[in-house]
Amino acid sequence: MFAQFFGGYLFNKKLVTAEDLTQAFEDKSNTRMRLGVLAINAGLMTAEQVEHVNVTQQSVDKRFGDLAVELGYMTSEQVDELLSQQPTEYLLLGQTLVNNGVLTNAEFEKAINDYKRDNSLTDSDLTGNKSEKLSKLISDFYHFEKADNARVLTDYVTMLFKNVIRFIDGDFTPLEAFMVREFDAKYLIKQHIQGDYEAIACIAADRTEYFEFARRFAGDGYPVDEDFVNETVGEFLNVLNGLFAVNESNENGIEITMTPQEKVINSKICFEHPAFCIPVAFSFGEVDFIISSR
Amino acid sequence: MVVQDLKVLICDDSMFARKKLNMTLSGFGVKEIFEAADGEEAVAKYNEHKPDVVFMDIIMPKITGIDALKQIMAENPDAKIVMASSVGTQGHLKEALKAGAADFLQKPIADDDAKAILENAAKGVL
Repeated sequence: MFAQFFGGYLFNKKLVTAEDLTQAFEDKSNTRMRLGVLAINAGLMTAEQVEHVNVTQQSVDKRFGDLAVELGYMTSEQVDELLSQQPTEYLLLGQTLVNNGVLTNAEFEKAINDYKRDNSLTDSDLTGNKSEKLSKLISDFYHFEKADNARVLTDYVTMLFKNVIRFIDGDFTPLEAFMVREFDAKYLIKQHIQGDYEAIACIAADRTEYFEFARRFAGDGYPVDEDFVNETVGEFLNVLNGLFAVNESNENGIEITMTPQEKVINSKICFEHPAFCIPVAFSFGEVDFIISSR
Repeated sequence: MVVQDLKVLICDDSMFARKKLNMTLSGFGVKEIFEAADGEEAVAKYNEHKPDVVFMDIIMPKITGIDALKQIMAENPDAKIVMASSVGTQGHLKEALKAGAADFLQKPIADDDAKAILENAAKGVL
């Protein structure tokens, strides 16, 4: 999930466009990690040194690692260590953006260093999906720390993104959240959460995006009529909220349950309490996740 | 009895969830599959078809899956009802097992879990 939030960071910093990210997420599976990006990420080489090796490679038939050692930028042990690492998703995204000419090595170096510094992340934190760091990253990204119910919001949104990756796909970029008291819904599914506290969770999108979200959750071979699509998006929300309720019960001793989902089509819904609207840009378009709790 | 001869009732207010489980069970060769979209219909369909296994959601309109479970068990103490819900909290789990549920599956239901339920039901050990 660090890859998606790294993408969101680059987007918010206006270093890339939504189209750049969509293309990069599409290309990422075919990307082969290059030693230069790994060395920059590990802080072993600067972008300038990587460029020097790249330029030198044009006139000398040698591999990047061998040249970097010859030029004194890395030891052969450091090269071996980098080569033995499994490429992480956020680095593959970075490499793809460099390959696609969206970022230069120097821009990537600055972005990755700023990203790690701003979020107090180490290389080890960024390997896998460490829950603690992930929660902190999400809380910081959405500025949840200012909300009264910061813990609930952080845990809910962390669960949301884990399930988006699990059931929909990882080809998305989280965009900046904003507060809403009312929302003009084209297609929206909502579910009330009640028990030790109350909340409302919604998924909203325009027709095309809503139908594609449902198709991805259901898989192929299901009807594509509006009723079935509403039920499918509703089931995603139900599964998400159910898993969240299980976590609340197991981890925090909090008992919550849900009411049956409701659909809202082409009308405005109002929230009694301010709600966080969390837009997410998928390759097929934008989907909004809304959570209001008190 | 073999899995293919089991009569199964799927109770879930989500049309998608019913269809998905129906397709999974059909894939295992189950021929008689009935569906109910709320708790009241679940009780009525149980009484009408007397299925060998019931997959019962919890959050449903009219009456909840837990209340439907209680009503069915009151009249049919040998009913084999598996709660299949997204809300597998300790509270729901305890309530369902106390009311006589045979098992509890967390949604989304894994194919292997559904198959294991059917195999146990066919062997009479659910």
